Order: sequence, then C-alpha cells, then structure tokens
Amino acid sequence: MIFATVMFWAVALALVASSLAVVLTPNLFHAVLYLAAALVATAVVFLLLDAAFLFAVQLLLYAGGIVTVMVFAIMLTERLTGQRLTQTNRHVVNGAVMSFAVFVGVAGFIMRSNATAAAPASADRTLDIARAIVGPFAVTFELLGVLLVAALLGAVYFARTED
Amino acid sequence: MPTALALTVLGLPFASFAAIALVRPLRRAGRVAGWVSIGAIACAFLAALVVWRSPQGAEALWGWIPADEEPMVTVGVLVDELSGAMLVLVTLVSLLVQVYSLAYLEDEAPPSLGRYYAYQSLFAFSMLGLVLAPTFVQMFVFWELVGLCSYLLIGYWYDRPSAARAAVKAFWITKLGDVGFILGIVLLWAATGTFEFSALFEMARTGQIPLAGLSLTMFLIYLGAVGKSAQFPLHVWLPDAMEGPTPVSALIHAATMVTAGVFMVTRTMPLFELVPGVLTLIVWVGAFTALLAATMACVEADIKRVLAYSTASQLGYMMAAAGAGASAAAFFHLGTHGVFKALLFLAAGAVIHAVGTNDIFRMGGLFRILPRTATVFLIGTLALAGVWPFAGFFSKEAVLAGVLHGHLPGAFVMLALTAFLTAFYMFRVVFIAFFGRPHDVHVHPHEAPPLMAVPLWILAGLTIGIGLRFVVHPAEGEHGPGWLVPLSLGLAGAGFVLAWATYQVRIVSAAALAAMFGPIDYLARRRYGLDALYAGLYRAFILSFSRLVGWVDRYIVDGVLNVLSAWTLRGGDVLRRMQSGQPQDYVYGVAFGVLLLFVWAQFWR
Amino acid sequence: MAAPGLSAYLILAALVFTIGLFGVLTRRNAIGILLGIELMLNAVNINLVAFARFEADLAGLVFTLFVIAITVAEVGVGLAIVIAIFRVRRTVDADHLNLLRG
Repeated sequence: MIFATVMFWAVALALVASSLAVVLTPNLFHAVLYLAAALVATAVVFLLLDAAFLFAVQLLLYAGGIVTVMVFAIMLTERLTGQRLTQTNRHVVNGAVMSFAVFVGVAGFIMRSNATAAAPASADRTLDIARAIVGPFAVTFELLGVLLVAALLGAVYFARTED
Repeated sequence: MPTALALTVLGLPFASFAAIALVRPLRRAGRVAGWVSIGAIACAFLAALVVWRSPQGAEALWGWIPADEEPMVTVGVLVDELSGAMLVLVTLVSLLVQVYSLAYLEDEAPPSLGRYYAYQSLFAFSMLGLVLAPTFVQMFVFWELVGLCSYLLIGYWYDRPSAARAAVKAFWITKLGDVGFILGIVLLWAATGTFEFSALFEMARTGQIPLAGLSLTMFLIYLGAVGKSAQFPLHVWLPDAMEGPTPVSALIHAATMVTAGVFMVTRTMPLFELVPGVLTLIVWVGAFTALLAATMACVEADIKRVLAYSTASQLGYMMAAAGAGASAAAFFHLGTHGVFKALLFLAAGAVIHAVGTNDIFRMGGLFRILPRTATVFLIGTLALAGVWPFAGFFSKEAVLAGVLHGHLPGAFVMLALTAFLTAFYMFRVVFIAFFGRPHDVHVHPHEAPPLMAVPLWILAGLTIGIGLRFVVHPAEGEHGPGWLVPLSLGLAGAGFVLAWATYQVRIVSAAALAAMFGPIDYLARRRYGLDALYAGLYRAFILSFSRLVGWVDRYIVDGVLNVLSAWTLRGGDVLRRMQSGQPQDYVYGVAFGVLLLFVWAQFWR
Repeated sequence: MAAPGLSAYLILAALVFTIGLFGVLTRRNAIGILLGIELMLNAVNINLVAFARFEADLAGLVFTLFVIAITVAEVGVGLAIVIAIFRVRRTVDADHLNLLRG
C-alpha cells in the first residue's frame, strides 16, 4: 500500500513536471523529448492501474512511434525553413488563466461527485481485452482499421511533393 | 307571390352582372353584354310592374347574422306601395338608359362597353336591393353599393383626370354623410334592439322607443340622406359627378340613386315623426338647398351642370315636402321628377352627342337642326318648370301645398322663389341652346339614332301621360288653397317671360340683370365658395395630416428601421473582428464553453 | 495514508489535460500545438484506464486502445498537414495561418 502510494505520487510528480516542460520549454526539440518522458510516465500510471498491456502499447506506440515521427517532422521542417526551432509563446497569461479556470471547473466537479474508491481484483486482463476487441467491439475495431488506412492515405496525400 | 316576384326583380340584374363580370368573353364582346343586361332589366321591369299592381304588400325575412335567440340582423324583401312604385321607376329608367347607352356609347371599345354594362347591372341590383330593404342594415349595405356604382360610373372614363377626381370627390363627400348614417343606425339599434323597419314602426306607434337622444340618432340618419341626396352643404359632389357619361347622369345622378335619401326619409317617416325638430331642420335644409342650387343653375353654362343643380334643387323640394309631413307629395315628386329629369338628361345627352360640346353658348338655333330632340327637351323643361298639364305641375303643387300645410311660410316662400328660378334657368337653356342665333358648329349635328330616340319618346310620353292622368283623375289628398295654382303657374310664367325677354328678344340685358343681383351673381358663379371651402379644408386638414403621416412614416418608422439596420451592420462589423482566423482563439472559445458547462452542471442544475 | 483512489487519478488527469490545453492555447508553432493535443489525449487515456480499474469495466481499456490508435492517425495526418503548409507558406507559425479571419 505504502509502496503504491509513494509510486503514485512520484509518477504523478514526474508526469506533471514533464508535461509542464512540454508546454513551457522554448526549444521544440526539447519539448518532444519531454513529451516522450510524459508518455513514459503515463505508461507507468497505467501500470499502477493494473493495465500491463496498455503499459506496453503506450511505450511502443507513443514513446516509440509517435515521438519518432514528431522528431522526423521537426527535423524536416527545420531543414526546409532553415530556422532554429526555438520559439516563444503567445498570450501566456491568458492561456494560464483559461487553463486554470478549466482545471478548477473539472476538479471541483470531480470533488463533488464523491467517486467511490473501490479496489476490485486485479489480474492480467490482456486476454479479456483481446476477447472484447474481437467480440462486442469487433465492428469498432474494423472501423478503426478503415480509419487508419484513410489516415495513412491522407498523410501521404498531404505530404507528397507537387510533381 | 309578391316576395318571389320581388326577388326575381332583384335577382335578374344580379345574374346579369355576375355573368358579364365573370364571363370574360361576354364582357369583352361589348354590345352582346349590353343586350344581356338590357334583357335582364327588361324582364325585371315586367316583374316589377306585376309587383306594383299586386294589391297586398308582403314581407319576407331571413336570418343573416345569428345571435343567441333570434338573428341579430335579418335580410329580406319588403314589398308595399312605396317599394313597388320605386321598383317600377328604377327598372323603367334603368331599362331606357341602358338601351339609350347602347347608341350613346357606340364609339367605346367593346371591353370597356362590357365593363359599363357590368356596372349598370350592378347598379340596378344595388338600387333595387335598397328599395326592397326591410331592415336598416340591408339598406345601408345597398346604400353603399349604389355609392360604389356611382363612383365606378362617374369614373368610367378613368383616364380623364377630371373624371377620376370627380369620382373620388363624390365618393368621399357621400361617405361623409354615410358615417352619420351608420352611427345613427347603430345608435337606433342600441336604443331599440332591432334593425327591422316593421318592428321599429310598431314600437314607434306604441311609443316604446325612448325619446331621449332620438333627435341626435335621427339627425345622424338624416345625414346619410344629406350626402346621398346632395343636400346643402354636401351637394358639391353632384355637379362634378357630371363627368360620367350622360346616361349615367340621367340614371344615377338624377332619377334613382340621389333620390335614395328622399326614399329613406319617406320610408322611415314613422321614426322621423317622433322628432319634430329634425323634421323642421329637414324642411329648412331642403328649401335652402332648392333655392341655392337654383341660383347656381342660373349662371351655369354647362348644360349638364345646369341639370345637375336643378336636380339638387328638386331634391331640396322633395326633402322639404318630406320634412313638412307630406311624404306622399315628396314621393310623388320623386317619381315624376325621376321621369322628366331622366328625359332632360337623355335629351341633353342627345344634344351633346350631336354637337360635341356641353357649353350652351356654343350651341344655338338647334331647334331647326334637331327638331325632335328639341321637342322632347322642351317637354321636359315644361314639366320641370311646373307648367300645366305636365307631370311636374301636379307634383310641384303637391309639394308646395304640403309645405304650406305644415305651417312653414318661410320655407314656402323659398320654394316659390325656386319655382320662379327653375322656370327661368330652364328656359334660359332652351332659348340659348335651341332658339338663339345659330352658332357655327363645325361638326354637323344629326338627329339621335333610333336607339336613343325611342327612350326619349317613351319618357316624353310618360311625362305628358302622367300629367294627363291627373287632369282626368285629380289626385286625392292634399290640396292647397285656391290661390296656389295661379301662383305657381304665375311664377313659372314669370320665369319664362324673364328668360324670353333676356335671352330671346333681348329686351333685358343679361349683364344688367346680373349687375342687379351683383352679390348673388358673384357668389353663385363661385358656387358660394363652398367648393373652395372644401378644397381649403381638404388641403388644411387631410393633406397636412397626410403630410404628417408621411413624415412620421419617412422619418420615424423608416428611421427606426434604418437605425436598426445600421446597428445590425455595425454589430456585424464588430462581431466580425472576433473571427480572427487564429485557430487558437477558437480553442479559447471551446474552453470557455466547457467551463460554462461545468459551472452550469455544478451550480445551476 | 490511504492508497490513491479514483479521484486522485482523475485530478491528475485533469491537471495533465489543462496543461495540454495551456500548450494548445499558447504555442505558436503548429507542431507545439500538436504536442499539447497529445498531452490532452493522454490525460483522457488516464481517465479511461482509471475508470476501467475502479469500476471494473473492460470497456475503458478497449477504448484506451482505440484512442491510442486514433491518436496515431491524428498525428500522422496532422504532421502531414503541417509539412504541406510549410511547403506552401514557408512558415510553421500558427499566427500566420489566419485565412479564416472574418
């Protein structure tokens, strides 16, 4: 118990800190690296929530795949524009006020809702997830495949050179 | 049986109107439409004769506006001696005028001739409905319908500005009286709870009508008659109404519609008898109108306008007689006047048709060129002047006797003076137009074609025939004192002699005569300033009010809309700036919306 | 000190979500905005997994998988669009992408 609690706080701290770094650091390249850190922290949170399979997916897809794509994109555009990717933020105060207000709204809502803190059984439910994906969610799963194909084609279409 | 026949009389012109108005090819055929209309009115005339001759009266009522227990308003037909005689008069004159019009308006385009006959049929229907009305409401409805027909027919040549203006003037001025009429009807209903004549007369006979306020009510009802029958001060529309075709003037503005006021007063006499004050007013207004219109007729150069003023004058006679309690005499004069004034108008129309002008000073010596037309005009003149043994003599004598019997010597003197003036102005027209030096008229005058001549001869024959009938069978009832007949004949003779001396042998200079009556001549030529007064009032009140309304519309109503639209534009301009095109600004909007949802979910739900 | 319950995870997720929102609102660079969106989606994932854990409902896990897949698609298309815009306008600055201005 104590271990889980300490872990939660540690991971939460890491997640919040790296998230803040993502949005605050001037260098976009660094921001992507911090995003990778935040995604790994999220993966650990999944682990704390007994979702080992999602932990793996998160690490592989996000921290591995998406971050790599992001880095490629940054390097590509930097090469295209020849500019340093350091950047400034706009209207920081406005954004902070609005974001904080939304946070207060959401947090207040959560506090008032009196969520019951049950502690059900925890097991490796990867098999259950697999059954669910091909069972009740089969149609959604297939549609997702269609979506991915469409996104692939769209990405190719947008990124191709005009020739 | 009489009610069924009366409904036939009423229905035939309406059927003809509906056919001509709705069947386009028929209307555009012109003369065919004319014959349809003539056929309908001829049948109606025959039916009317039967109704008139049937001894017993009859009444039929149907509910119209339902109410809780019994209908609030009823419609129907009321057949008695009064409406029977009026039916015959209206259908007869309508028939003759419609036949006459076929020749008089032969140059009109067929579609517009079809329109003319549609109006004619509608008028015949409306006038017959008015005559047969057994309730005030029905009478008012048809009263307005004849006013509408009058408007339409005065403005028949609507492309002439003067005709259009005259039509509007006639409509408005008669409406002025009609407002009083309808107010009076409603007030009377409020006091008695019924519109039906028979019920009202019964209440009047048994004294159930509350007398308080009745004078005002009957005065308001009388106002309707003032407008319709061209009584002072609402007589100004009648001379202008002569802008319509001459047959229309003969039918509507001499023989039938303008007598509706007299007819109404005669019809509702039991009610007027309850208010002697209003009756006295009717006598004085009638006598004054008679005298005033006669003086204006003396200085008028337009032959139709002379006849129009003469009509107003004779209507004054009828009203005076009705007011003096001699409603039989009034109605008698209404009938004879309807015949000989229609004759005069139609004869004048034949003259105008022949020489192409209305101005009597541009005619002259027509007796030799148009002997037949001149003869019938002369017959009408003699009748109007009240010369024995023509029809006008008897009815005029009855009127004078009635007024004298009513102990109104002042009104009697005015009417006697009018009789003198009547003879004078009518013979003035006769001498100038028919016997004076021939004026070189460029068009070659021609006698009236048969379709015009036949109605003229029928009317002339009736004018003489009615007179002769009373020579053979003297009318029972009122007779004045022995000196009345010599007096009225003497006055007519004096008028004749004066006109003869002034305009034929020219012993008396017309200018000197005018100078002798300087102020009256001056005023009469300017129509006593009444037209100018109305025009001034119209400009002062109606036009300035219209300008005020126009100003309000232009600057207040439009202004509000302009300001609103300007604000909308400006608001759009301001709101446009919110659309910065920056996606992140839109994200602010989304975030704010989410925030609102949370706040709503937590605090207001 | 009790083990962290559902509320703790939800508030953590809300915090990450609003940080992402802040990034979306304030970044000038289009790729920076995409990074913010990634954070927000991550927060949603945390929510889903937390609910799946504490409500014992498998659907949350399945949905997380779907969200991850959709995110992959979104990032792919988003980056492709960014590169296409670069090619045309020679800029990554969202301030200059204001064709929608009224």
